[in-house]
Amino acid sequence: MFGLFRTCALIVVLALVVIIGYVFINGIGKWSVNFFTQDPRPDLHGALVLGGIFSPLIGTLMLMLLVLVIAIPVGVLGALFLVEYWGSSRTSRAWWIVVNNLAGVPSIVWGLLGVALLVYYLQFGLSLIAAAITLSLLVLPLIMVATKEAVEAVPSSLREASISLGATKWQTIRHHVLPYSASGILTGIILSLARAGGETAPILVTGVAVNAGIPGSLSDQFQALPYYIYLMTQTTNRTQAYGMAYGAALVLILLIIGLSLTAIILRARYREKYRW
Amino acid sequence: MPKIEIKDLNVHFDDNHALKGVNIEIEERMITAIIGPSGCGKSTFIRCINRMNDLVPKCRVEGKVIVDGQDIYDKAVDPTEIRKHIGMVFQKPNPFPKSIFENIAYAPKIHGCKDEKDQNKTRKCTKKELQDTVEWSLKRAALWEEVKDRLGKSAYDLSGGQQQRLCIARALSIKPEIVLFDEPCSALDPIATAKIEDLLIDLKKDYTVIIVTHNMQQAARVADKTAYFYLGSLIEFGDTKQIFEKPREKLTEQYITGRMG
Repeated sequence: MFGLFRTCALIVVLALVVIIGYVFINGIGKWSVNFFTQDPRPDLHGALVLGGIFSPLIGTLMLMLLVLVIAIPVGVLGALFLVEYWGSSRTSRAWWIVVNNLAGVPSIVWGLLGVALLVYYLQFGLSLIAAAITLSLLVLPLIMVATKEAVEAVPSSLREASISLGATKWQTIRHHVLPYSASGILTGIILSLARAGGETAPILVTGVAVNAGIPGSLSDQFQALPYYIYLMTQTTNRTQAYGMAYGAALVLILLIIGLSLTAIILRARYREKYRW
Repeated sequence: MPKIEIKDLNVHFDDNHALKGVNIEIEERMITAIIGPSGCGKSTFIRCINRMNDLVPKCRVEGKVIVDGQDIYDKAVDPTEIRKHIGMVFQKPNPFPKSIFENIAYAPKIHGCKDEKDQNKTRKCTKKELQDTVEWSLKRAALWEEVKDRLGKSAYDLSGGQQQRLCIARALSIKPEIVLFDEPCSALDPIATAKIEDLLIDLKKDYTVIIVTHNMQQAARVADKTAYFYLGSLIEFGDTKQIFEKPREKLTEQYITGRMG
């Protein structure tokens, strides 16, 4: 019986090691200064398999930064309002069911919403801002659920202590609830960023472009790492293209591992600071 | 004039009638104990005096709670202003997950200190003023000697009894005239309980103290006046000695002698 458990655990670990190891072995050889500082260049057939990944990398970082700016205030404040001010009313519970379900909506559906609503109806055009808003909508439920859980984990006895000293509700939230739940909220935010950085489908329909270069404004098109990887798998020059794809994939994986590590470190810091 | 005068107080939680027409007058600088079996409305009662029941959804309070001549349930009254002048200590010690110093300096920090030039105005407290308040509050709560060398340490490094005295110090930091205790010793061992009881008796020189307790001996030891609640009604209220030795009501007698509750 225990052998079965062991086998299952082994499969999980092996899968992870094989994927990361395979990407690492195939990708690391492509890493060089040029790989990081040059834009993708076309070969004789017009496929963008030469040069480096500079513009896709910058595009992905810009995208993540924009998601950070858009989704965090909306998600955190929205969830705070729902939990703290709407409480456990029936409407609020119904709303949370909606939020939870939104977290499971396939990303291409968000992409469809983005292209229909933002790109065409609101006339943002295929652009960085349209893609960033679409990704923000996609990660909003994740941030909201993380915030809700973190905020609800703060014991009511601490809120009561604050209120009984004559603090207002907002002071209680600002001085107690938010700092004590910051580790959970931060973890949610960082994991959402990682998710946004890796999504392909929504940006594919809302603004990413083959050779956009680095966007000069929010209404320009852009390049992104996941899309670059996708492109590399579509070319005929496989030997060259797959190497580039693995190199880019390794960057993306390390970016996401780096973000997760940051989340873990921040969480440990806050746990140490605010424990009860 | 009594410090607190409560007239025909009724509390409903949704369709549960938790307090039924309570009338009581609480004297200044005395300890008033509220006793009664679980679910009799003791905590609900004490939480009406600083409007903590406002936090409970679907809670409806009717009647008057007059503190120093002002009905605190009057529409024009801001409940946070009321709570700035009434301290409260809870069942389980609930210090903030911050340093000992920060726990006590919190209220002065958010409320500010009186301006010397204009007594009606408040301004940000100076560091000195905060330190003075922290020292004064900790001394008043008989904790200063034990923690004066480690004010920067987390409040959760203290023992349960120390934590509860820290919470008392925190309640005193707002310089209240009334301090409410909601079963302050229910999570503490006998030695820590004895310390808190000594402290309570010391505090009544300067404060009006109301304590909810399910421990009758505690009420007998510390209280000047005792009120017995049963199923949401105030059954009997009088001098502690009289309540424990010559209860007028049959229900009180049954509870005191341990035949009920």
